[in-house]
Amino acid sequence: MVASFDTHLFWEALTSDPYWKGALLALGLTLVSLAAAIVIGFALALGRGSRLRAVRWFVLFYSWLFRATPTLLQLIFVWYALPQVWPVFAGSWFTPFEAAFATLALNEAAYMSEIIRAGLLAVDPGQELAGRALGMSRRQILRRVIVPQAIRIVIPPTGNEFITLLKLTSLASVISLHELLTASQELAAVGFRYPESYLAALVYYLAIVSVLMVLQGRLERRYTWTSARRRRRVAAPAVPAISHDAR
Amino acid sequence: MNEAILRAESVHKRYGDLEVLRGVTFEVGSGEVKVIIGPSGSGKSTLLRCMALLEEPDAGEVSLEGRRPGRAEVGMVFQRFNLFQNMTALANVMVGLTDVRKLSKREAREQAIELLERVGLKDKTRQYPEELSGGQQQRVAIARALVMKPKVMLFDEPTSALDVELVREVLDVMEGLARDGMTMVVVSHELRFAHHVASSILMMDDGVVIEEAPPERFFSAPEHERTRRFLALVE
Repeated sequence: MVASFDTHLFWEALTSDPYWKGALLALGLTLVSLAAAIVIGFALALGRGSRLRAVRWFVLFYSWLFRATPTLLQLIFVWYALPQVWPVFAGSWFTPFEAAFATLALNEAAYMSEIIRAGLLAVDPGQELAGRALGMSRRQILRRVIVPQAIRIVIPPTGNEFITLLKLTSLASVISLHELLTASQELAAVGFRYPESYLAALVYYLAIVSVLMVLQGRLERRYTWTSARRRRRVAAPAVPAISHDAR
Repeated sequence: MNEAILRAESVHKRYGDLEVLRGVTFEVGSGEVKVIIGPSGSGKSTLLRCMALLEEPDAGEVSLEGRRPGRAEVGMVFQRFNLFQNMTALANVMVGLTDVRKLSKREAREQAIELLERVGLKDKTRQYPEELSGGQQQRVAIARALVMKPKVMLFDEPTSALDVELVREVLDVMEGLARDGMTMVVVSHELRFAHHVASSILMMDDGVVIEEAPPERFFSAPEHERTRRFLALVE
């Protein structure tokens, strides 16, 4: 038996501007951070296999630095500490959004690089051999053969990363980014109506992840190479799981 | 014998402590078909890979008409087909023409379809490798190599990953190629094929060629005891 739940207040919160904007901000931050993380992560993944020892060491150092420290601490460091040691970041251009984007992108890149590396390694070496026998360059083989096949392998773990990132955006509430959690905290503080305020935020997270799961399914079929794509679903080869974590 | 097209000159190759090729000299003349047999680990595949420039010899030289082979001038067919999994049969055959030879899509498509027709797969152009039988995949792989107009075709155990009933269709394509005058080097233990098609047969053991002879003499009167024992095992 629920003692008191104000359905009206809940609906009002759900449809209010701060929630909408907060949700959009969280989604936007997730998308740009993940996109940047994939680009950086791809470069790092290639760097892991570099012939230059310095490059390999840098990648290991990077991965160690960003995975061994809490994301919340990284965020606080970037927002509060960085401007004190590096005046460039004290300028007005450096808003909470930029700080959150930089932190999440750099942090996530460390995880994405491992996922992408595993994906590239999972492609049969015979594919590269055949490309070389045809006279294709290293770059052509990567672009035309290996990356498309690695994408198929990388999609499911990347979906996981999207979800993790989406939730991590709520950390940015501590650097006063007006995302979803901040919106619900502010509403809760005004009327002390905790159930309605926080439930509305939960609904938004659930909705975003639901849409993602549908899109992911479509993307996986898009990268399944049988002409009967629609009917068949081929299980992706296993990728070493990265443990589930509260970063 | 015809003038040598492809030559390997005292080729050495080692992987760590293991010396896989210990000075192999070998040549194939225009229009000849040479079949290489030998126990596993004798260096047959490594020799082919060196000749296709997929491996760099530690010492010795590979030359095509007296110079270093250019891109895809030596075609290679693999034991496990190695078709690009993310491309249709047609795209597999086209990609070398568009990306390496820089032909237009239209030209590439025309030539690719012609080649697929030649290996009897005109109706499979839109299938992905996963949807083809092993024999069909291998025929697409042959078309993919042939479309680049190589001067020599190398086959690395092209039928040994196939179910018995699919071997014939691949051998038929290869015999057709040989009749059309293609220069070929084939690593295979299909002795009937070797007997019918080969200009000569080579026996490799422990990183060297121990014997080379035309099929008649090779099968009826092998010089080496090692060859005799090996033939007895294969037959």
